[in-house]
Amino acid sequence: MLTPPDERPPVLVARDLVKEYARGRAVDGVSLTVRAGERLGLLGPNGAGKTTTLLMSLGAVEPDAGSVEILGHRLPGDRARAMQGVGFVAGYLPLPDRVRVSEYLRLYADLYGLRDPHAAVSEALERFGIGHLAAAIGTQLSSGQRTLVGIAKAALHRPRLMILDEPTASLDPDIALRVRTALLALSAERGTALLVTSHDMTEVERLCGRVVFLHGGRIAADGTPEDVARTFGRDDLEGVFLHLAAERDKDRERERAATA
Amino acid sequence: MSMSDPTGSSITTVPPDTEGPALRSPAAASAHRVRAVARRHWLVLKRSPHRFFDVLVWPLVDTLLYGSIGLFAAQAAGDSPSATTAVAVYLLSGTVLWHLVHQTQISLATGFLEETWSRNVLGLLATPMRDWEYLAGVGLFALVRTAASTVAVAALAFAAYAFDVTRLGLGLIPVAALLLASGWAVALLVVGLVLRYGSGAEALVWGALSVVMPLSGVFYPITTLPTVLQPVAQVLPTTHVFAVGRTLASGKPMPWGEFALAAGGTAVLTLLSLLALRRMLRTFRRKGLVTRYS
Repeated sequence: MLTPPDERPPVLVARDLVKEYARGRAVDGVSLTVRAGERLGLLGPNGAGKTTTLLMSLGAVEPDAGSVEILGHRLPGDRARAMQGVGFVAGYLPLPDRVRVSEYLRLYADLYGLRDPHAAVSEALERFGIGHLAAAIGTQLSSGQRTLVGIAKAALHRPRLMILDEPTASLDPDIALRVRTALLALSAERGTALLVTSHDMTEVERLCGRVVFLHGGRIAADGTPEDVARTFGRDDLEGVFLHLAAERDKDRERERAATA
Repeated sequence: MSMSDPTGSSITTVPPDTEGPALRSPAAASAHRVRAVARRHWLVLKRSPHRFFDVLVWPLVDTLLYGSIGLFAAQAAGDSPSATTAVAVYLLSGTVLWHLVHQTQISLATGFLEETWSRNVLGLLATPMRDWEYLAGVGLFALVRTAASTVAVAALAFAAYAFDVTRLGLGLIPVAALLLASGWAVALLVVGLVLRYGSGAEALVWGALSVVMPLSGVFYPITTLPTVLQPVAQVLPTTHVFAVGRTLASGKPMPWGEFALAAGGTAVLTLLSLLALRRMLRTFRRKGLVTRYS
């Protein structure tokens, strides 16, 4: 019998995160808990604070206020141990030039400290059906193949949490489906929690059991896709997204008018 | 147990795999991370033929240039054996020893730049690798690359101009160590500036040592510098390292006072570079500058 979601142990706990850049406040008091095996979509229009929240969760950006704990390890002091349980994929990041896929995976297997990196790489190539790409150089791969290699890399060490920033951006629907299926299988088989950002609301509805909408750096909604859509009086997440994007544009107009 | 996603793809579920993979001990994991980073940069070098110009071609061209100038200047100095020896020692020991600093600095700094060019910084930050493990990995690669370059330069200096760098004797070891440390220190400073100020600071990778070299008296005594610059030259640890190297190359005993200045100065430079890098890395994380590479 599955444990009810709210009783599963947290893998990521972010409390009251604040981040201010020169252009303004990107994240303004975001608190987020991701539990083991949970598939959470972090959504919002451009400038809502999604990527900054993800980067703070990875320890790549230091919050101005608030804290992040991953598997009980607090960032930034315990970052190395925390990252042992995290895999990161970004659809927009290329693979390094002049390195073969197998060499790239081997590099990360060593960075994760795996005792048998060769076996881990072979398993990852097989699991994601990319064994035929082992000898290819990163620049020879299509977007979809690069994404699959990126997911294979992030899953090498069987992380408890995978953080995915736009994992299927600019992919053909069939390749996006393959990526989504691989992620769902990973979550189901290993209990890996997924924290995903995406601009494709249909994809999020298929992939995530819970969504958090950010608006102006704050949490605007948190719940199942159906509940969130209902809260905003919309049919689906796309309707919520469009509503919040329109709100963002109105906010910007008001700011411009105030400073004019 | 099975389930299907809304697209119809069937997914077989099993009890969650809560057991992680077997990991190396912390010390072994660190050693493998260092080696993995060095290997990654070796692979990039191996598949980038144009980079062998930096490793072999330009150093050999420099050796030919300065070796021939040295020979010409020595011949022009006339029959004075001491003048001939001094000119040759200055130029050839300077050429060989300078490559230790230059190659180390370029190798380490471009190693880091490779991560920015290939937008791999964010990927590396999202692993358990510690900052020092990355620097040690690039440093190890820089050491191997520097060794290859310096051996080639030393061999050409010996074959073409009968200059044997081993005439420095055992003193060559501490001199080489101080020059490597100086190269690393300048590279760490440059890496920090690139982290802090972005691609605008990349020119320093190739330009920083262009300032250090003329002030360090690599090819001439610093007494020939304009008077106003001589105190600046005295402050640079590389000035004293080269002075030690030339003394040894002339067959004289180790000048311990000069060596102490060289070692102390290099230690201070390295410490300041590490502190500056740490500060700039902190700023990099605080200002969210990683987004430049994502």
